[in-house]
Amino acid sequence: MNPCPARWTKTDGGRKPVGGARALRWSLSLLAAVALPAAGVVVDVQLKAQDGAPAKDAAVYAVTKAAAPARARREVLIEQIGKQFVPQVSIVQTGTSVNFPNRDPIRHHVYSFSPAKNFEIKLYSGVPANPVVFDKPGEVVLGCNIHDHMIAWVLVVDSPYFAKTDAAGVARLDLPAGDYDVHAWFPGATKQVPPRKLSVGAQAPGVLTFSATSRYGPPGK
Amino acid sequence: MTVPRDASGALERRIVGFFTALLIAVQIGAFLFIRYAIEQTARNNLRVELDVGERVFKRLLEQNTEQLVEATSVLTYDYGFREAVTTKDRDTILSALSNHSSRIKATGMTLIDLSGLVVADTLRGHAAGSAFTFPALLQRAADTRRASAVRVVEGRVYQIVVVPVLAPLPIAWVAMYFVIDDTAAQDLKRITGLDVTFLSLSTQGGASTLHATTLTGPVRSEAEHSLPRLVPAGPDAPAGPATHAIAGEEFEVLASTLDRQPGTTIAATLQRSMREGLKPYDRLQYLLLALGVVSLAASAIGSIRIARRISQPVRELADAARQIGSGTYASVNPATMAQKDEVGELAQAFDTMSRGLAERDRMRDVLGKVASPAVAERLLAERIELGGEDRLVTVLFADLRNFTSLCETLAPGQSLELLNRYLTVISECIDTHEGVIDKYLGDGTMAVFGAPIARPDDARRALLAAMDIARRIRDLGRDLAAQGLPHPDVGVGINTSIAVAGNVGSPSRLNYTVLGDGVNLAARLEGLTKRYQVPIVAGESTRNAVDGVVYRELDRVRVRGKTVPVHIFQPLALSGSLTAREQDLLAKHHAAIDAYRSRRWSAARDIFTLLATHPDYQRLAEIYLGYLDQAEHSPPGEDWDGVFTVYDK
Repeated sequence: MNPCPARWTKTDGGRKPVGGARALRWSLSLLAAVALPAAGVVVDVQLKAQDGAPAKDAAVYAVTKAAAPARARREVLIEQIGKQFVPQVSIVQTGTSVNFPNRDPIRHHVYSFSPAKNFEIKLYSGVPANPVVFDKPGEVVLGCNIHDHMIAWVLVVDSPYFAKTDAAGVARLDLPAGDYDVHAWFPGATKQVPPRKLSVGAQAPGVLTFSATSRYGPPGK
Repeated sequence: MTVPRDASGALERRIVGFFTALLIAVQIGAFLFIRYAIEQTARNNLRVELDVGERVFKRLLEQNTEQLVEATSVLTYDYGFREAVTTKDRDTILSALSNHSSRIKATGMTLIDLSGLVVADTLRGHAAGSAFTFPALLQRAADTRRASAVRVVEGRVYQIVVVPVLAPLPIAWVAMYFVIDDTAAQDLKRITGLDVTFLSLSTQGGASTLHATTLTGPVRSEAEHSLPRLVPAGPDAPAGPATHAIAGEEFEVLASTLDRQPGTTIAATLQRSMREGLKPYDRLQYLLLALGVVSLAASAIGSIRIARRISQPVRELADAARQIGSGTYASVNPATMAQKDEVGELAQAFDTMSRGLAERDRMRDVLGKVASPAVAERLLAERIELGGEDRLVTVLFADLRNFTSLCETLAPGQSLELLNRYLTVISECIDTHEGVIDKYLGDGTMAVFGAPIARPDDARRALLAAMDIARRIRDLGRDLAAQGLPHPDVGVGINTSIAVAGNVGSPSRLNYTVLGDGVNLAARLEGLTKRYQVPIVAGESTRNAVDGVVYRELDRVRVRGKTVPVHIFQPLALSGSLTAREQDLLAKHHAAIDAYRSRRWSAARDIFTLLATHPDYQRLAEIYLGYLDQAEHSPPGEDWDGVFTVYDK
């Protein structure tokens, strides 16, 4: 219930994959809305696994019908370190360029067969010359063709309002007043939970709970 | 006492037969027992093999599945394959499936999307767009990333492997089909060493299908009907090796269920032929058979040899005994006597006996030649003792008259031969009447009747022998005369008296004979045959002892060394065989002698004068007429007894 001031950043430091093969119970609670001086209301969203544990490395995003400002188009990096994608979960706005710097002494072959972005960067080392532009919304599952266990997700959303959960399973959205569909997204879940309506006004929104209905995270061994 | 011919060798046959039969029985028993043990062992071995084979079989199936799963997994990781799958172009996908399934020699391959619909199917093209037939496999694959099962698809049994296509999360499912056919069964047989059959049974209709087997020929066609019965009915039904005959061949069968779905059960049966299981023991059986034959032969030869060591000597001894029975002495085979066993001892004893018998027989033979058989018998039968006993005997002396002078013209050899012809005839006559030839005295023969064995008719037989001698010598004489050879007459003296019979001589050399006055008298009477010119002169004791014979009285004589005169007679013939004229002459003769002894000289002279004209009475008449001359010339005194005293020998 304590307000968390931290915003979602691209480097959250958690390299370990979230969750596991075990079935989790997810709950999401809309914790609190704290008024911020600049734009709007800060909304913290709590995501929980099926067993009630905090859902780390999951994402929350809000979609509004109103015109939304584009977010600063900064290039996002998904590195390969120790034969792992870092970070394992990324959420970007449509049109974002993502590059895949290889920090390992070995080559990687990054690919995706996801309909949202079907691409591959054949065996390479170092930083590829051209980043990949994720121009369609949707879930993109990344793999390495020569390291079957490597997996990463990129969630491409048509909204500037999105955040990834921290170790406590909390994602913070900074939303201007308006009506939103709030989506919770669990990577690797076979079925996503439905979005919820949220009206953001001067007042802090009420508590909402999102419950995950299926397992999430990278496939267990 | 005749021995049947086929009895020879019966002992041998019995010994050989017994041992051979015994050995055959033992060997048959042993063979059957070993065969039974072999069969049990083979069956147990087969069952152990089946148990082990079943474990190997199941492990093989697991490994196969594992390999197929791995191979399929690896295949689905193929980048190009994944690319093809994501093209959504059905033909491309189908050809990629065909291509990749052929890489791992799968029979077919199906791509199923994540919603469970078939995207493409190389086995059944029409299945595209419909739901996958085995959704449970998809569910299992979703849970464990892999699933495999044995299923019947369109009448064939397949090992089906379902794995996800990962990119790196599942983007589709792949079902890979591997048909289980005879080739697969053969592969399994190569490793397990067992015949393998795959069957599917419909649990409702009871219909069954044989899908694959390593069995061949008639066994294969019958297996389809008989093997399904051995498949356990339910999961809890007992399963274990069973003995089962298929098309007349015995199999040990172990059934094991591979998959049990509602409606269909798929099972595998492992079979091992009893015949094949017994094959390793065939050599042993042949060996046993060969051993049996060899030992049988050895035993037969051995028992024949042993039997011969008994039966052959026994046969030899029997032959020898028969020969001895018939009077020939065969010596026993020295090899048999050398045998160091009871048979050898028997042969030695038999030989000793045979020699003893031969010795005695030879003795008897020699005795029989030098002495009478009866005497020899007695001598052999009793202990020989010197001394004798008083016996009433009739002694016969036969002598050839003037033999020496008659034979002067002959060579010594010829005269001896002639002598032997005479003596042979005389001996035969004596033998015929069972007299005993006591000894030969030059051209004379002495025979005894009544010793050593006395019989009531001794005197009669002696008399008949004498008459025979007279008759046969007369016949012989006629023959010899015809050949122009000398033919001396024989004279026989015969007398019956008490004599001493016994062995005379020294203990080392002795004769059995009879001694006494009566014996001497017989010799004297023989000498009188010349004077009276008759063939036989018998003493009065003999005449008195033998009836039924007609005698002619010859005289009353006192021989030298005797004071008592004896009447002497000539036996003429058996009573009743004389003609009336002969009887008349005889009566006249006796009447004349009566007249002479009663001093009626003239009456006597008249008759004798009359008789002197008759050849048979001529000599007697002359003698009596001489007596009458002397009596008339100087009449005898009152004490005259009418006896003629013989002074010459």
